[in-house]
Amino acid sequence: MINETELIEQLKQGDETAFKTIVEQWKDMVYNTILGIVQNETEAEDLAQDVFIKVFEKINTFKGDSKFSTWLYRIATTTALDHLRSKKRKKRFGFLQSLGGEGDEKESIPDFHHPGVSLDNKERATVLFKAIGALPENQKAAYTLHKLEGLSYRDVSEVLNTSVSAVESLMSRANQNLRKQLEEYYNKHYK
Amino acid sequence: MTSQEKIQQEIEQTLQCLDGVKRADANPFLFTRIKARMDRKANIWERAFSFISKPAIAVAFVVAVMAVNGWALWDKSGPGTVETVTAENGSELANEYNVVASVDNYDYENLTNE
Repeated sequence: MINETELIEQLKQGDETAFKTIVEQWKDMVYNTILGIVQNETEAEDLAQDVFIKVFEKINTFKGDSKFSTWLYRIATTTALDHLRSKKRKKRFGFLQSLGGEGDEKESIPDFHHPGVSLDNKERATVLFKAIGALPENQKAAYTLHKLEGLSYRDVSEVLNTSVSAVESLMSRANQNLRKQLEEYYNKHYK
Repeated sequence: MTSQEKIQQEIEQTLQCLDGVKRADANPFLFTRIKARMDRKANIWERAFSFISKPAIAVAFVVAVMAVNGWALWDKSGPGTVETVTAENGSELANEYNVVASVDNYDYENLTNE
């Protein structure tokens, strides 16, 4: 089996077999990360394709200062967050249009079911994902990488290019925000 | 158990429901789709280049450029030329307007926090 460094070198030469091996080896990791952030399977698949195309086109900018997986996580996270930003912009524009009388259809956010969640936790996970979706970008990225990808705080800090203490603080604020949202949700649904 | 305690218990259980979650599997045909997209992209460029390199298009473009140049020369040598002020060099202009060199969006290894 070819090692990671050789694969990267071959990809830098434009080798298609190396590219295929890289896609097959890391596709689940990239897809799962994006899925956790965008919470939509179709969009996550398109974005995973975008990520690997970027990898193919920009592999020469990878200097090996960080692990290849860190670089991939970084591209995946940035791509997913950029997508959410552009979606938000479009939504705002749609809102302005609806004020002007055009496009008055209201878009409702569908419930998201992560395929990796066990059946008995499905309902709870849907509630939690809705709350995660409302977190600020950095908290959402840190929480997804830690909880869904199982990355340590150190690994998350490398992906987000920040310090371990900053990640600790992001996670603590994310948990606080999630608690607050869940409290509101359960207060409403228990009464 | 009071309702508040029950709510707190629900919150704890919900926060823990992602512990041990399995990784979602990507489409098994992801590579094929990526390849198809890359080929389509390459095809668009190929078509664009083949269109530009058609003799009629190339000649028309060269004639248009020459016509614009000719008109510019004729316009400048004619009466009523407007005096223009030009910056001596790019860096002077950049300094004056405090323009900073842009960072490559894909320089993922050297991202800085803003």
